[in-house]
Amino acid sequence: MAAITANTLTELTRLKVFYVLLLFALVLIGSSIFMARLTFQQEFQVLKDISLGAMSIFTSLLAIVATARMLPQDIEDRTVYTILAKPVPRFEYLVGKLGGVLLLLTITTLIMTALFLAVLSFREQAALAETTRQMAGLPQEQLTEALRAVRAATFNADLIPGISVLFLKACLLASLTLFISTFATTNIFTVVVTVFIYFIGHLQGTAREFWLQEHGGSWISRTFLAVVALLFPDLQLFNLADEVVTGAAIPLEIFLKTAALGCFYTLIYLLLATAVFNAREL
Amino acid sequence: MRLVIVLLGVLLLGGVKLPLEHHLFITRAAHRLQSTPLDLNLREQIGQLSFVAALSGFRAVIADFLFIQAHVAWERTEWSRVLLLFRQVTMLQPRGILFWDMAAWHMAWNASVAAFNNPAQPRLALRLKAQREYFDLGRDFLERGLQNNPDSPQLCEALGRLYRDKYKDHARASAYFEMMAAKPGAPNYAKRFAVYELSFCEGREREAYERLMALYATGEKERLPTMISRLKYLEEKLDIPLDQRISDAVRR
Amino acid sequence: MSEPAVAVTGVTKTFPVPFKRQSVIAVRDLNLQVEAGQVYGLLGPNGSGKSTTLKIILGLVSPTRGTAEIFGRESKEVASREAVGFLPESPYFYKYLTGAETLRFYGKLCGLRGPKLVTRVDELLELVGLTNARDRRLGGYSKGMLQRIGLAQALVHEPRLVVLDEPTAGVDPVGSREIRDLILDLKRRGITVLLSSHLLDQVQEVCDRVGILADGILVRDGPVDELLAVENRTEVVFENGSDELGQQLETLIRAAGGQLIERRKSRKTLERLFLDATRK
Ligand SMILES: Nc1ncnc2c1ncn2[C@@H]1O[C@H](COP(=O)(O)OP(=O)(O)OP(=O)(O)O)[C@@H](O)[C@H]1O
Ligand SMILES: [Mg+2]
Repeated sequence: MAAITANTLTELTRLKVFYVLLLFALVLIGSSIFMARLTFQQEFQVLKDISLGAMSIFTSLLAIVATARMLPQDIEDRTVYTILAKPVPRFEYLVGKLGGVLLLLTITTLIMTALFLAVLSFREQAALAETTRQMAGLPQEQLTEALRAVRAATFNADLIPGISVLFLKACLLASLTLFISTFATTNIFTVVVTVFIYFIGHLQGTAREFWLQEHGGSWISRTFLAVVALLFPDLQLFNLADEVVTGAAIPLEIFLKTAALGCFYTLIYLLLATAVFNAREL
Repeated sequence: MRLVIVLLGVLLLGGVKLPLEHHLFITRAAHRLQSTPLDLNLREQIGQLSFVAALSGFRAVIADFLFIQAHVAWERTEWSRVLLLFRQVTMLQPRGILFWDMAAWHMAWNASVAAFNNPAQPRLALRLKAQREYFDLGRDFLERGLQNNPDSPQLCEALGRLYRDKYKDHARASAYFEMMAAKPGAPNYAKRFAVYELSFCEGREREAYERLMALYATGEKERLPTMISRLKYLEEKLDIPLDQRISDAVRR
Repeated sequence: MSEPAVAVTGVTKTFPVPFKRQSVIAVRDLNLQVEAGQVYGLLGPNGSGKSTTLKIILGLVSPTRGTAEIFGRESKEVASREAVGFLPESPYFYKYLTGAETLRFYGKLCGLRGPKLVTRVDELLELVGLTNARDRRLGGYSKGMLQRIGLAQALVHEPRLVVLDEPTAGVDPVGSREIRDLILDLKRRGITVLLSSHLLDQVQEVCDRVGILADGILVRDGPVDELLAVENRTEVVFENGSDELGQQLETLIRAAGGQLIERRKSRKTLERLFLDATRK
């Protein structure tokens, strides 16, 4: 299993997926062009929003694209025969494959986070220096207050849970993609279906709450809402980043519950994938 | 056939996860961490693509994008556009205190001045009326911002300043600074500001004096020039006996 | 009697045809046994169900009816695969791995670790003659090299049974010769080999026993010598004899009531010619 994980990771890295990181760095640098005219508070907010948004989309895309081609490729090349002809249970094969993608996502998330924090602290230093210069001659108390404001606007500890939740969302998507690819006939189908679920998943919450609360409406629309609520995962729940950036604190309880939900989904989709894959003719 | 079984399996598991999701949703809503559903009118305003992006987890990015557009509109002094864009920004990101604050500031401080100095409108009464309308727009932003972020001292402060500097309504200004002082993480000048404003209110001088003296008594750090001058004004007005008055030598 | 290496009993496999009501019957009520230590050849035209049968034996495809066993363990069980190595038909491996890395990967899948794995990899590379290419990516391997790395991969955990699906397809005569020698070598070491092919000469050369599949039905099954022997004929080949000697023989045969069917100059096979011509 560890061998499959390591091998999948090698496969993915040799596919040059790390170009995504380069793109991320470009977004980080590019976004600062906008910011020349903004105050530092605005600048930091925009920087954080754009960075986290880019992180979210890149990890999600990476999860979907990297996973979608994995299984069909192995089946088409018949490498899957050579692997499953060894004493390797199909479940372990899938876990190994998914493990490789999750490892890749971990690495990319860590690198992106590091890049992001580096840019942020770099900008913070600049803002601190500028504030000190502007406020030269004013009482010490006011300067301390101002510097504190700058620091508060850059880092807040809640960024980390925000990013972790984005990562979990990507894990969920990878597992979901794996599940779909076990019965899909083409890669395109897998990607299209996953992206479709991605969009619906962000609206699922609204549909679900509507279905749970309102009791009116025709039975057709109620059935429709029920199907949406039951079939799709609520991806909006994995969006803490927007709130984090505005400075809202994330209670530990919420973070833990969201994380648990993310793991739950990842596991469920993996199990579903195994169920389908076990029954599948190769 | 197999697809049907898979679908049924997913639906069944859906029954398991539904209560979990709902529970988390409720918990988040209780902490105001649940973003509100988007208004469909917004789609026509910001365009299909941005709307879809906003729906799929990129509200913050779209909000920033519109915010930067608003910034550009401000530089071009297109006030109605600034207003429109800020309405969209705050709808997308109602937890963005900065956005409410900026929106109000543009309305009450920038647009109002431009309206008052509008060379195309020769009649003073109308210019005053236009100015007043911008004050109200600013106040609306701040009040709605406060509804969405009831813990924010920053928005209370902005409201306080708006009443103090624009409406010249010292009682309301004082009340907002008071409110600000009660919020978590409020700076310590909040209390002083509240009392300063109180000291301008006709008929409440005694109350203001007592609270100012209490602050004065807390120590050297509080004894700022504005405080001294407000105290002296109140001592004069209330005819405080000379031996109870503060000494001149306390602060240069 | 020891347990058979492979036992297939009453296996039928039908594949549904998508969007149609009918289905393809790939294998029909198949019974097949391979005794331990034998080299068994499965013959048949294209689409006769050879690959399907092998996949059923390996548990890669589940039979519609019937059972398949390897050394007494059902193919459905993962553990049954501990005793078997498989080379699929025209295999592809991970292009980005080198030969040595590929073998290490498959070794790990079988639970090999550490120095034991390292020596095993070296041994196998030596065995299939790829020591020189060990650090080249498989992307740059020729078809014959891939086939050989596939064979090495099948042998990595020293299985008691090796299943080879068209092991010599796409390999040049030299390579094909080497692979056949390797199979004979395996046989000498007591390893059971089950292979499929439609290259009849080659099967005839290495196999103890053959089965012929046609449209999913096993139409013949038996030891090669028995199946091919023509009971009432005998061939005689001699060297350095004159034409006269031939004449004499013919008369002798007539006299004994036999009949001479053919008399011709001996030829070497095309394979022999090719091997001699390309030998360096
Ligand atoms: N996965 C599958 N889905 C549908 N039909 C299949 C599948 N695999 C094999 N078949 C059908 O089963 C029959 C037997 O195929 P199989 O691959 O076993 O033949 P083969 O003897 O190996 O042929 P070849 O010599 O060409 O390799 C064929 O008619 C083929 O079309
Ligand atoms: Mg075949």
